[in-house]
Amino acid sequence: MVMFSQLRRFDLSDEQGARSNLTDLGIALLDADYPPVTRLFFLNAQNKKRSLPWNQVREVDLKARRIRVRDLEQAQSESTDSMAKEVLLGDDVLDALVLDLQNRRATRANDLWLEQEKDQFVLRAADTSFGAILRRLTRGRYGRVAKSALYDWKYVEFLRGDPDAVRNGEGYHLRVARLPPGEIARLTDLLPYLHASELITLLPDDKAVDTLEALSPERQLQVFEELEEEQAITLLTLMAPDIAADLLGRLPTKVMRRYLNQLPETQGERLIELLRYPEDTVGGIMTNDVVCARASLTVAKAREKLREPLKKPDFVYSIYIVNNEKSRQLRGMISLRDLITADDELRMEEIMDPYLTTLNPLSPASEAAYKVIDSHVAALPVVGDEGQLLGIVTVDAAIAQVAPAIWRTQAPRIFS
Amino acid sequence: MKKKGTVEGLEPVERLDVKALPSAPRSIGGGLRVNIRGRSVQLRGLHRSPTGLLRWLAILGPGLIATSAGNDAGGIATYSQAGAKFGYDLIWVMVILTLSFAVVQEMCARLGAATGRGLLDLIRERFGIGWALFAVVIILIANAGVTVSEFVGIGAAMELMGVSKYIAIPVGAVLIWYLVIFGSYSKVEKILLLMTLVFFAYPVAAFMAHPNWGEVAHGAFIPTFRADPAYLFLIVGLLGTTLTPYIQIFQQSSLVEKGVARRHYGPERIDAYVGAVFSNLMSISMIIATAATLYVVGKRDIESAADAARALEPVVGNAATLLFGVGLLGATLLAGAVLPLATAYAVSEAFGVPKGVNLDFRRGKVFFSLFTALIVIGAGLALIPNVPVMQLLVGVQVLNGVLLPIILVFILLLINDKRLTGDLKNTRRNNVLAFGTLILITTAVVVMLGGQLLELLGVHVFGA
Repeated sequence: MVMFSQLRRFDLSDEQGARSNLTDLGIALLDADYPPVTRLFFLNAQNKKRSLPWNQVREVDLKARRIRVRDLEQAQSESTDSMAKEVLLGDDVLDALVLDLQNRRATRANDLWLEQEKDQFVLRAADTSFGAILRRLTRGRYGRVAKSALYDWKYVEFLRGDPDAVRNGEGYHLRVARLPPGEIARLTDLLPYLHASELITLLPDDKAVDTLEALSPERQLQVFEELEEEQAITLLTLMAPDIAADLLGRLPTKVMRRYLNQLPETQGERLIELLRYPEDTVGGIMTNDVVCARASLTVAKAREKLREPLKKPDFVYSIYIVNNEKSRQLRGMISLRDLITADDELRMEEIMDPYLTTLNPLSPASEAAYKVIDSHVAALPVVGDEGQLLGIVTVDAAIAQVAPAIWRTQAPRIFS
Repeated sequence: MKKKGTVEGLEPVERLDVKALPSAPRSIGGGLRVNIRGRSVQLRGLHRSPTGLLRWLAILGPGLIATSAGNDAGGIATYSQAGAKFGYDLIWVMVILTLSFAVVQEMCARLGAATGRGLLDLIRERFGIGWALFAVVIILIANAGVTVSEFVGIGAAMELMGVSKYIAIPVGAVLIWYLVIFGSYSKVEKILLLMTLVFFAYPVAAFMAHPNWGEVAHGAFIPTFRADPAYLFLIVGLLGTTLTPYIQIFQQSSLVEKGVARRHYGPERIDAYVGAVFSNLMSISMIIATAATLYVVGKRDIESAADAARALEPVVGNAATLLFGVGLLGATLLAGAVLPLATAYAVSEAFGVPKGVNLDFRRGKVFFSLFTALIVIGAGLALIPNVPVMQLLVGVQVLNGVLLPIILVFILLLINDKRLTGDLKNTRRNNVLAFGTLILITTAVVVMLGGQLLELLGVHVFGA
């Protein structure tokens, strides 16, 4: 094992006796936990940057501090295609902002720990201690390696601060995706927006959506706008309609129109509907992705019919009972528990609760928010002039409306 | 089907007269008519930033506040000294500096928006740990110097109100420390900002003192050079206090904080320009006001805050001392809190250690230590007895001026790095202006330092 700061000062020579100075190492940031060193970079006699693949290395002598390669003259100049995909230890990783998943913080890689695995060197850990800074400044004289300051590369997430880099087919090991979305969101808050955007690009779509939803509106917009159009539309489609509508409403009009036109029919219409209400009204904070069932259905039939619809929306805790799916005249509500426990042959209108507090889409948002919170239910339905169900205001949306701004992004969205 | 007079929640929902329910604001207008999916819809839920007059108010408001707050103890001392010592002669420096300041401020804003990162972060990532450490040391020296000057200012302001500085400075330091660490600072900040509004008396004073506008114009547009070390010293002081390194770091991180993304940078450009021009107009009015009251009556050297306060006499008469004291106290307390805090943030960020006042002390050791150390050093040095206040304040600005070219070189290298800034890279015009500024400042600093060095060796290049 060797620190990168030391390795970089090793003597580089070839079998013909030619010598040179090592400048950097390229690694393959693949799906593997510990990326292998694939290429070495050095300055040739003309002070030009050259590179050799790692398989040209004959021997690495850690004691004598030297690396021997077969032939330095066979080196390629910088601009080959394979180069573009490579990440450089010195230029890119060292000193970069990395996520330390063990401590859930952003930190900087002050030094890197490489381990020899047969003929290969792999990146094993990042050193984030002040000792590492001292080591680099004193050319290795001081600053001993403290094991406690080494963070296993497996739990370090390296980001380049360039969302485009990922699209070029860079591979990453994505342990960060295993965390709950709220925690990923808090971690991205520690990153500059380009890094955050890169992270969202890397996440699987469902995780990316949940993470985006957990960001503050300003940050969400900033991160979202750096995404590529195709991914942006995918995420908008999966997003809770109320959050997606708020996000779209903040985009420049031209972009918003383009996205609305490209979204799939259902989600597109939902978002347009929500965008018609001013931000400070009930319509502005409601969501219209609601599960409905016809009043005349039997419980058994409803269970069968609702199996598919219940898979998609975020809010599934209440099922709203309507006259028929077309006019959506609101008649009552049943809970998911009712649906599961009630007798098969009963009809929905027999088990539903018809006594509902409803909201008007145009009444002030904050007033309605208190109504939702005071009523201690997960959501209240929003009903139009003709008695038709338009959507619901969830308790999460209500809290977001009345909570102080600092608090808002921290508040979890539990029900939607 | 619906019956009037039914009570919500007590009758089945289908029997309610929904129209009669809440007292809703039915008439909502506005919104935007957009053609989407083959039909035209009126969208009212759009979140749009203000345009037209509102947009200008949104720019000018924060700009004005930043301007009045940006005039800290060192700035007021330097501008006052310039006015008292050389009358209107140095205004041309400020006129040139307005252009430079606007260009540099805009570059920093752009760098912030393009990268989403602070200046020290970028230095660390692009130039490695050695250069980052170098920059950190420069910033620490410059900012510690300015912090000292803020505490000197706190002392001077309180002495104008009859409180000994040996009481005022320690109390001020403890107060700042406590408020920032334990939270209620953001509330106090508004009061402090209000106090600094006093300085808007300067532009008024500049008019009411009836300066000779011919001479003002002459001083503003015709550069004069004097073979006087004090003249050069003040020029570097003016450079240092106008283009202070910390203002640039602020400018960049404020854009990052605001969350301005690179594709929305465009309108921010105007904010940066307006802020720079405003702040320099204020500075020029300070020079004019002091020149018209002190220089013309032969009071050529400002020795204390009380002297500087006399520039406000044309407006408020005998209340000048008190009013000046209030403004100075507000400005210095504000800067005395913000500077150590921002420095601690920037340095922690460059080293990748946890930062923020919300951390507990164990996790934020480096951050809190830096913040505390800066306040202790600032207040401690300010307490040294018999320090010539004005000389110290101006001296710190000169130090800033000397360190400025180094920071500017970093900024210029970073903003011209296409890998970082992409489309927001410097244009050629920007580069010409920025390099011009750099050469101007470097020349002034080198000439001044050279002069001072020769002076020490007993060679008088500048005459008496």
